Formats: sequence, C-alpha cells, structure tokens
Amino acid sequence: MRLRACLPWIQAAPLALILGGFLLLPILVLIVVSFFDYDSVQILPGFVLTNYVDVLGSVTTWRIYGNTLRYTAIVWVLTTLLGFGVAYVLAFEIRDRAMQMVLFLVCTVPFLTSNIIRQISWIPFLGREGLLNQALLRLGVIDAPLEFLLFSDFAVILAYVHLYTLFMVTPVFNTMMRIDRRLIEAAVDNGANAWQVLTQVIIPLCKPGIAIGSIFVVTLTMGDFMTVRLMSGGQSASVGLMIANQISLLQYPAACAGAVVLLAAVLGMIAAILRIVDIRREL
Amino acid sequence: MRARLRRWALLGFLGLFILFLYGPTFTILLLSFQGPDGGLTFPMNGVSLHWFVRLFQQQAVGDFGGAMQRSLALATMVTVATVSISLSAGLAFRRGFRGADWLFTLTVASLIVPSILISLGIGLLFNQSGLDPTWYGSAFGAQLTWTLPFGLLIMFAVFNRFDRSLEEAARDLGASPAQSLRFVLLPLITPSLIGIALFGFTLSYDEFARTLLTAGSDNTLPLEIYGMTTNVTTPVLYALGTVTTGVSFVAIGLGLWAMRALSRRPAR
Amino acid sequence: MTSKRVTRRTLLAGAGVALGSGAVTGFPTIWAQNIKNVTLRQFGTGVSNLNAVADQVKKDLGFTLSMTALDSDAVTQKAVTQPKSYDVADIEYWICKKVFPTGTMQPMDVKRIKNFDKIVPIFTSGRLTPSSSIAQGTAPHTVGFVEKQDSKTFSTKQTGWMTLIPTIYNADTLGIRPDLVGRKITHWKDLVDPAFKGKASILNIPSIGIMDAAMVMESLGTLKYADKGNMTKAEIDKTIAFLIEAKKAGQFRAFWKSFDESVNLMASGEVIIQSMWSPAVAAVRSKGIPCVYQPLAEGYRAWGGGLGLARHLTGLQLDAAYEYINWYLSGWVGAYLNRQGYYSAVLETAKQHMSADEWGFWIEGKPAKADILSPDGKVMEKAGAVRDGGSFEQRMGAVACWNSVMTEDRYMVQKWNEFIAA
Repeated sequence: MRLRACLPWIQAAPLALILGGFLLLPILVLIVVSFFDYDSVQILPGFVLTNYVDVLGSVTTWRIYGNTLRYTAIVWVLTTLLGFGVAYVLAFEIRDRAMQMVLFLVCTVPFLTSNIIRQISWIPFLGREGLLNQALLRLGVIDAPLEFLLFSDFAVILAYVHLYTLFMVTPVFNTMMRIDRRLIEAAVDNGANAWQVLTQVIIPLCKPGIAIGSIFVVTLTMGDFMTVRLMSGGQSASVGLMIANQISLLQYPAACAGAVVLLAAVLGMIAAILRIVDIRREL
Repeated sequence: MRARLRRWALLGFLGLFILFLYGPTFTILLLSFQGPDGGLTFPMNGVSLHWFVRLFQQQAVGDFGGAMQRSLALATMVTVATVSISLSAGLAFRRGFRGADWLFTLTVASLIVPSILISLGIGLLFNQSGLDPTWYGSAFGAQLTWTLPFGLLIMFAVFNRFDRSLEEAARDLGASPAQSLRFVLLPLITPSLIGIALFGFTLSYDEFARTLLTAGSDNTLPLEIYGMTTNVTTPVLYALGTVTTGVSFVAIGLGLWAMRALSRRPAR
Repeated sequence: MTSKRVTRRTLLAGAGVALGSGAVTGFPTIWAQNIKNVTLRQFGTGVSNLNAVADQVKKDLGFTLSMTALDSDAVTQKAVTQPKSYDVADIEYWICKKVFPTGTMQPMDVKRIKNFDKIVPIFTSGRLTPSSSIAQGTAPHTVGFVEKQDSKTFSTKQTGWMTLIPTIYNADTLGIRPDLVGRKITHWKDLVDPAFKGKASILNIPSIGIMDAAMVMESLGTLKYADKGNMTKAEIDKTIAFLIEAKKAGQFRAFWKSFDESVNLMASGEVIIQSMWSPAVAAVRSKGIPCVYQPLAEGYRAWGGGLGLARHLTGLQLDAAYEYINWYLSGWVGAYLNRQGYYSAVLETAKQHMSADEWGFWIEGKPAKADILSPDGKVMEKAGAVRDGGSFEQRMGAVACWNSVMTEDRYMVQKWNEFIAA
C-alpha cells in the first residue's frame, strides 16, 4: 500500500533526476554568473546589477524583443492553421493506421538530413538564380528575380514554418485520435453541418493539443538564433542572436543576464497559454 | 459528389504540405549530381556521380563515417531513454503527486533556456567536477534536456481525455496494475510511443547547440558538418543528404514489408 | 611476421632509450618508441585542421593526431571551458587575448623550438622588416609572449615563453566578381558604392565586421581612427551609425560568418563585392566563376592563427607536443598551407618543400610558369597568372590593421546588436 502511494514519485524520479542534474544546476550557475562583472579580458566574480541594467535599460533590447515577438506571433498563427489542417486530414480522412504511420514517417524524412545542409540549400532554392526564381521567370510570371525571397523576413518565417509545423501536427493529431467518433456522429445526427462539427466539437476537444503545440512553437521561435541569422543573412536580430553574439566574445555575465530575462519572459507566455487551456487538468 | 470533392481537396492540401517539406530535399537531390567542378549553388556545372564517390573517401576536413556512427549510437540511446522516461513520467503526472507543478515548470523551462547556455553550463559543471565531457555522457544528458520536454508533452496529448473506464474494467476483472498497464494501456498507446521515438531520434540526430560544448573531444555528425563549413565545402554535403533520404525511404519500405509479412502470418 | 615486428620494435625502443638519454645532455629530440602510442587531440576551425596534416604526422612522427574541426565561436568556448578535452588548441591571435589569461593553456619554451629564430618577425617583434611599422589592432606579437612559465599575462616584449606558435596568417581585402561589378575597384569605400546596392557583404563577427566598416570609413575620409583595432566609444558610435545608415539604404545583401557562406554568396551571384579570404576567392574561381581578390589603396586587414598547448600536458605527451610543433615548422605543412594561399610561419623551411615555380607564384608574386595546382592536384591558376596583390612583402607589408579585441568590446557588442536590430 505504501509502495502504491509512492509510485508516482518513483515514476517521475528519472525525469526529475535528469532535469535536476543537467538543467537545474546549469540554470543556477547561469543565475549566479548573471550577477558577475566582466571587462574585455576577464570575468570578475562579484555581485553587480549592471548586466541587468544593460539588458533592461537598452532600447535595443526592447526593439529586439519586439522583433522576436513579431516573428513568434506570425509563425504561431501559420503553424497552427497549417498544423491543425494537416492533423485533421491525417486523423479524419486517412483512417488507416498503417497509412497514418507511413505519412508521419514520410514527413520526418527531410529532417534526417542535417539542418546545416538544409539551410545551405535554401540559397539555391530561393536565391536570385535559385530554382523558384528560375521557374517563375520561365513561366513568365515575373520579369526580374524576386529579391525578397531570400535574406528577408519572408525567408526567416518560411524557414520557421518549415521547421516547426510538425511540432504542431503531432500533439494535435494525438488529441484528435482521442476524440470519440460517436460524438461527431451524434452531432451530425442532430443536424450539425461540417462547419459546426469542426468549430463546436473538434476544435474545443483539440484545445489541449493546440496548447501543447503552441508551447513548442513559441519556445522554439523565441529561443532561436541560427535560423534567423542564416535566413536573414545576419540582418535581423533575435533575442537568441543577441545572446550568441555576447557568448562569442566570452561575455558570459551579459549573456546569462539576457538568458534569465528570456527565461522569465517565455515562462510568462507559457503561463498565459496554460491559463487558457490547462493541459494537465485534462489528462 | 461534394463529399468526394472535399476529400480530394483535403488530400491535395496534405500533398502540398508534404511537397513544401520536401522543397530543400529536392534542391539537395538535384545539386548532389553536380559535375566535378560544380559548387553548392546553381548553376549546375555538368552532371555526375562524382560527389557520391567522394562521400566515401577521406575529406579535406573532418570524418563523416566516425561522426555518423557516434550520432546514430547517441540518437538510439536518446530515443530509448526518452520513450521510457516520458512514459513513466506521463503515468506519474496522470496520477498526480506533490511537486508536480515544479517538475512541470522545470520541463517547460528546459525548452526555453537558450541551448548554447545549457551546453556551456553542463560543460563547465563537468569540467569543475573533474569529469571528462563525452558524447555518451555529458552530451547524452544535454540532449535529454531537449528531447524529454517534447516526449513528456506529447505524452500529455496522448493521455488527454484517455478513457479510464478501460483500465477500470481490466481492474474489475482482477488485473493487477502492472497487468492493466501491460495488456490494456500499452497496446492502446503504442503508435503514439512510436511517434515519440521518432521525435526523439530526429531531434537527437540533428541536435547542434546543446552538443556543441558537451561532446568532448569527438564530434557528432551535425558538429562535424558545421566544422567542415569553416573550409571549402563541396556538394559532398548534398550527396550525404541524398543518401540519407534514400536510406530512410528504403528503411520505411522494409519496415512496411515486414509489418505486412508479420500480419499475414496466422496469429496464435 | 609477428616475431619480426617484435624484434624491430625492441630495436627501436633501444634506440629511443639511447636518444632519450641524449636529451639530458641537451639533445632536443626524444625519439622514444612509446611516443608512438601517444594520441594528441587537436581542435580548431576547418581552415587548418586538415586530415592531410594528421596523415603526414602519422607518417613522419609515428604518433596519432586526432583532429576536431569546429566553427570559430565554438573554438573559443571550448578553449576556455573544456581544457581537458584537447591537448593542442588551434586558435586565432586576436581571441588569444581573451583565452590565454583564463589559464587553460601553458606557454612554450622557445629553447625547445628549433626553428624559433626563423619565424617571420611579425610574430616576434611585430615588424616585417626592422624598418617597417607595426600595424594597428591586436598585432600577434602583443599577445605572443608571457613573462614566465606560469604567468597568464602578456609580456610587452619578446621573452623565452611563447603563447602560440603561428600556423597560418593572411592579409584580407575585398573579393569581387569582375564580370558583375563592371568597373575598377581600388578603395575600401567602393564597398558602399550605391551602384552595388543589395549586392555587398561584410563579415558577421562583431569585432571583425566593425573593422571592415572602419576601413571603409577611413577610405571615405569621414573618420580617422587612432587605432581601428581599439576604438573609443565615440568612434564605435560613429562607425555603427554609418553601418546602420548603409544597412537601411539596402546596401548589404547578407553578412557572412563561415568561410563556406562567403563562397556560396559569391558563387551564386547574391553578392558581387565583399570582404573575403584569399582561399575563398580561389574556391569560387575553381568553379569556373570569375572572382578577384582586389588589393586596395588603404591596405589589408590581417589575421593569424596559432597552436597552443593545453595546461594539463606533461611528460611524454608534452614531449610529443613539442615534437609536433617542431615538425609543424619544419616545412611540409608550411608548403601545404602556402599552396592554398595562406602564409606559413617559417617561410624558409616551406620553400624547400615547394617547387621554384610555386614559390615564385605564391610568395614572390611572379607570374606562374606552369599551371599552379592546389594540394589535392586541381588546377587553381593557369600558367602566366600573377597572384592578386603580389608578393609576400607587398601583401603583408601593407597591413593596415590586425583582427582584434577592443578594450571597449562590451560596449562594441551592444552597439553591434543595435546595428543588427536596426
């Protein structure tokens, strides 16, 4: 009987241990270092607030947060629409379990080629001489190559949507599979049309999945620095990139302060998502 | 008629999405057949299999073979750990326990803290405590802080509104909790567990920032490729991409064939 | 077969003991057999962490050199935070200013370095010839020496303890696509010519990119810096304001960070004028695309890298490391690197491993008599070609500034982030 009471703790212990050792400790170090001082040569242990003053007091920081939030909002809307649609087709149109599995696998295959290689390949795809521009030129849709396709906000968002949509599809698909089909039949029997079934039955029941997918997309976009650097050609800033620039010159205290602020900001956003949909209450 | 039209439209949408996912893959495929003097961008400079041959020879910088072996081994370890730990933790969260809120917050935080700083932190901790950072030690742990939040949250989606009456029925029939897990719950969620495994494998195999300062002396594949880009790179990278895609498809095909063959065998 | 090998091994071991005892009396080389069981782990960027070098070490010295290539940022982080994961660090001089004071490396005893006297004087006295002046920025000799074996602070003059042994260095300038720029490029200011709007690029490493901009500013005559490699806050402000203006006007297509990016930008025609490395220009040209490395009136921005020893190295491993360093300076590697368009630390020994024609083309700036081949046998330059910028003395003698870490680098990074966000 005692064992059964302790069971959840035992079951949660591996997760807690790994996160404790490999996450909590580094975060604590990070918080401590964020109060250190530094100059051009070395890090000086101490307790100063200058790093936070620099981060929070600078207009640049706010502008960069603004930019990152803008990316996040756009990417979230696009991946949610796209991801929900794809999950819907997979769950309700393709009912064969094996076929669903195969399609999921097919969607994963492009991601097995290293992201670095895929990022390089966007240049020959979207560039002035790229596949897309050449195709459009040949079709006579445009007379001159479209410049905005690469090294622009458009390119950054396109790459994000490409990378992150599957993170929305998976949880939404999983919640959809839990929906009792009899509910839908009942709604149809009661005269609901397809639109009503979608908005009044399926979407409400998928909310937890959408919330989980949103957590993925929001955190991934907020913390990114590689994609934004490569796809904007280094001309757009993100919070992650700001931190990466500091790390590259060994300015760890400033980078840590930036990370603590980012952590607080994103945890706040996640709390807001969970306010709307408490995914744990619906377990 | 309208229903069929709707169905085709929806399937077309899915097809377009998959096409979009394969955009870069398609470019990589084309350019991997570059001529011997060709580069990583258009225009094509002849057509050849040159780069596929070069892929299996020694490169100017780096070593694909060794790095890939490490990455595959690491991804397998991470996959197994992610599936078992998330399943176990998922069950715990379902029953609820004291401290669940904190553990949940920590899990979400794991997604947010910039990877490069986690990497730095773990690297420093290992260094301070006199342990050698290795790809199968520190990098393994670092990657788990990345894959576990995904595993656990997908687990939440799986258990969401899960019909408890099935388990209760099993228990009423005299099944022990272990039996109810083994014979009722697991078969029901197996496809989702495969999904988590797929996530875990892909995320680990392509993980970059968290591995960067925790891999020790030997590089994983993404690190090796990134290291290579600090010198002249060639369409060998694209050849690697094309081969990876090809091998994946063959593996999927074989898996399907095996599943068919197994299901055709009469069940005992 | 087995017994034969054993006897040979015992024999060599005996010879090792003999030579080893010689070392006590000042003989510099220890050829102990067990040195062959040593593995030295080296890391650095892919620029100089070449498999060909490791293969040759195995052949010439018998021990294993395992190479790990990383990107430039990761190299810095690893040098500082993972000192146990490497034995030999291949880092750049400018970042050495920050890395060495952290105490993860040990200086080298110059008495144990055979060709020390022959190292190009840029790295020892800072002057190419006794009469030439010292360029601005973090010149390699300023971070090249420390007072004593265990000190972490740099010495202002040459001492017996060296921090890094130079591997490669070069003078950077603008690379251009002569077929697309359509006019002569002679000054750094041409980078911001509105004619090249949306087709220019600079380096995306804050401390280096800002110096590219400084070269342009001086060329335009808008600002005269006391030291481009160590700007004041006011100078940083003006330089960043200038960059922001150029960016808002749409001058830049993209900024590059890795070698590879600079090649792809140029080869694909996305960019037609950018700051670049000499071997990157060669890489574009080897694809049949015209690309020229343009010497400019204001001179070059130079950089250099070097090998440093991890602090934990002792005993046999340390001996092996010195062995490796001595081998590195003995000519084979030098020739290999010179053939790619970089310069090696001891030119004299490299010369012995290069043909007269190669030496004439790469170092003396003479027209090539026959086709010039890359180390892997591909034609890099046709007969008759002359190296862009000319001879070693002409190029390295016209260095305006070295890659550097500024005293105000905290402020500089903040401003750089402002520029990226603008």
